[in-house]
Amino acid sequence: MSTASARPHAGSPSGLRPGLLVASRWLGNVKILIPFAALVVIWSAIQAVGHFPERVLVSPSRVWDTMLLLFSHGILVEYIRTSIAMIFVATAISLAIGVPLGFLVGSNRYAARALETFLRYLQGISGIAWLPLVVIWFGFTHLTTLAIVIYTLAVPIIFNTMTGVRAVPELYALGLRSLGAGRLRVIRDVYLPGALPSIMVGLRLGMGYGWRALIAAEMLVRQGGLGDLIFGARTSGQIDRIIGGMIVIGALYIIIDRLLVQPLENLTIARWGLLRK
Amino acid sequence: MTTANSASKIVVSGFRHFFDTEDGPVQATGEIDLTIRAGEFVTLVGPSGCGKTTLLKAIAGFIRPTEGTIYCDGKPVSGPARERGVVFQELAILPWRTVRRNIGHGLEIAGIPKAEREQKVARLIDLIGLRGFEHRYPHELSGGMRQRVAVARTWAADPDVILMDEPFAAVDAMTRLTLQEELGRLCAATRKTVFFITHSVEEAVFLGDRVLVMTRRPGIIKARIEVPRRSLGGRDWETFTADPEMQNIAEQVLRLVRAERGAAEAEEKREAGAAASS
Amino acid sequence: MDPASFAGRAVSRLAWKAMPAVPFVVVLLAWIVLWEVFHPSKETLPPIRDVLSTIHDLAASGQLAQNVLASVYRLLLGSVLGILTGVAGGFLVGLNRAIAQMLNPLVVFFNAISGIVWLPLMIAWIGIGTALAVFLIWNTVFFIVFQNTVLGVQLVPEALENGVRSLGGSRWETLRSVTLPGALPYILTGIRSGLGFGWRALIAAELVGAASGLGTMIFDAAEFHRSDIIITGCLIIGAIAMAVDRWLLLPIERRTVRRWGLISDAEAKH
Repeated sequence: MSTASARPHAGSPSGLRPGLLVASRWLGNVKILIPFAALVVIWSAIQAVGHFPERVLVSPSRVWDTMLLLFSHGILVEYIRTSIAMIFVATAISLAIGVPLGFLVGSNRYAARALETFLRYLQGISGIAWLPLVVIWFGFTHLTTLAIVIYTLAVPIIFNTMTGVRAVPELYALGLRSLGAGRLRVIRDVYLPGALPSIMVGLRLGMGYGWRALIAAEMLVRQGGLGDLIFGARTSGQIDRIIGGMIVIGALYIIIDRLLVQPLENLTIARWGLLRK
Repeated sequence: MTTANSASKIVVSGFRHFFDTEDGPVQATGEIDLTIRAGEFVTLVGPSGCGKTTLLKAIAGFIRPTEGTIYCDGKPVSGPARERGVVFQELAILPWRTVRRNIGHGLEIAGIPKAEREQKVARLIDLIGLRGFEHRYPHELSGGMRQRVAVARTWAADPDVILMDEPFAAVDAMTRLTLQEELGRLCAATRKTVFFITHSVEEAVFLGDRVLVMTRRPGIIKARIEVPRRSLGGRDWETFTADPEMQNIAEQVLRLVRAERGAAEAEEKREAGAAASS
Repeated sequence: MDPASFAGRAVSRLAWKAMPAVPFVVVLLAWIVLWEVFHPSKETLPPIRDVLSTIHDLAASGQLAQNVLASVYRLLLGSVLGILTGVAGGFLVGLNRAIAQMLNPLVVFFNAISGIVWLPLMIAWIGIGTALAVFLIWNTVFFIVFQNTVLGVQLVPEALENGVRSLGGSRWETLRSVTLPGALPYILTGIRSGLGFGWRALIAAELVGAASGLGTMIFDAAEFHRSDIIITGCLIIGAIAMAVDRWLLLPIERRTVRRWGLISDAEAKH
């Protein structure tokens, strides 16, 4: 399917047509910011009228100034880098562990029967609950944080891979066997691409949970990262840092999700016409 | 007893199959013997549930027969393989591959080098009339086009025998006629051995060199009728419907099949009546 | 059927029934082996009998029950609030396209920071304690229920609603007899999901020292390096989650949603 792209309309006077197209797309993006702008206005108003002490609420401009300061000193960048690095490493490892495991449970009746209940049991215990134990084992280190985030990420990946594999019609595999394909071929050409949409969904979900678990773990392990930033700011009553940190946390997640994961999802799935959008 | 000679591609002897259910074994087919010779187009007609799909699956190697043996080129059938290509009723082509890559899939598996592969695929695409659509994905094609791709894929892999399980049943009537003619032309051009099962008597007589009629469940083959091949280029519907000899044969087969359908319905009524009164 | 194959069948059926227990058994065996071979300190890996006796002690002294009840109480409070606001909000937004479009960016953003991220700010605003835990749970449950409700409401075919309107039904009537039942499957799935997440978020919510609760139990134990209590806590948390989901929530969903043949697990937003 070809997507329409803004091409210069032949013979248009001084490119007026394409200008309008670009303008309307920018307008669409700007529209998204309106509710946030409204929120900031309301926030300013509340802060101005309410006369709250500084340790409770500060103005948006104050938050902006503080964050800018942190940014210019490279501190904010460092915190962001730590968290981002962590989520991506954890994602990579979770995929490496979760997809094969999910595959196994999805394709083999015995593996499913043996492992599914156990996995569901683990699903009920959040990563944070294990944190104290993991801290005893690995100390207050990045390894601890990593372990917790991998644990959190792996669960939806495993389960979604499982359902993805199960959803692939057996007929596809039979068809390929009748073309002379062996087991490995069938996995590579049928089950892996067939399960991919589901795996992508699991990945998106996992990254959502994983990001939140990361922040929580960073709050406790205190070895850097945005969770450390906002939790540390609490003890010193720096509301500006807390609010600023929260905004950064939200914004980063949206950026990663919308600009990275979702396009990846769309690229693979929609192109194959598999997503029932 | 069927005589197997060097020209026999498929030899089925004493085949009988039972399915394991909660209520015990259920008989799917009666005792079947059949031979398919090289280059033959054999069609099998029978009422629903008579076991024709079971027979095809056994020949393909998807199920192991409860009784009897199946040989392909003198070797026992032990599982699905390239030698016995299958075209299913539902689509088995992969939605995430283009037309070109789907058709070439069997060649890819066989390790055929890319240049040769592309050549063969291109030739087939021309034969099935899908030039210009090589880079489309299945979901962008119509039902008839998709089925063409499925047939071409199996053809490209150059199997010894091609098994087809009502491949045109899910396609609309108009397209079906076209596909049948195309299949006929394809077979005439490439001299393949085909085993084709269907509901439709007309289709069976139109396509086949030999028509087998199966009884109702548990089915056995009760009649084998030869159909003289007329033109070398495959048949077309116009000539077929106008040909009195063809129509005669078709009527003959229809009568045989109808008798089975009628008997099956009568039996169902009897069973329903017995169940109601008990 | 001859006795040999009968026995064979019975054994394989038994094996099949017992299979789900295999990983648990493997973990237990590994635990024992690790203990025997490496003799780790009690705080790294307490021996099984320590954990078992701890469970017994906590149960006997009533502490376990007390903590469980405290946690469950908070979960229920936060969840009920979350469900009520989530459904109400979901309907409001789901029914009105303009509002949905306007609020969507905000919803996406606040969803991205839902739950634990509010902890530092909320401690500054409402302090440590039950209120904090309840807020965090409310936050988690709200978004899930909200999103599923919006989805459910939007997916109710307009044709159905128009049908009732053309029979003379009022706005309210349409809502009651068409939209609500139509969206119900999604709402129920959202509730089931939300409760699961709420339970998991609960532990994190209690980590800054609420007075009691399973999370508190774990984190207090962490300070004294009582791994046996930590492990006990984790096991109980998992057991409760599993029990409630399997024996309470799933049957409810099965009897309503699945029986009405309306949606599958995969379709609702988790």
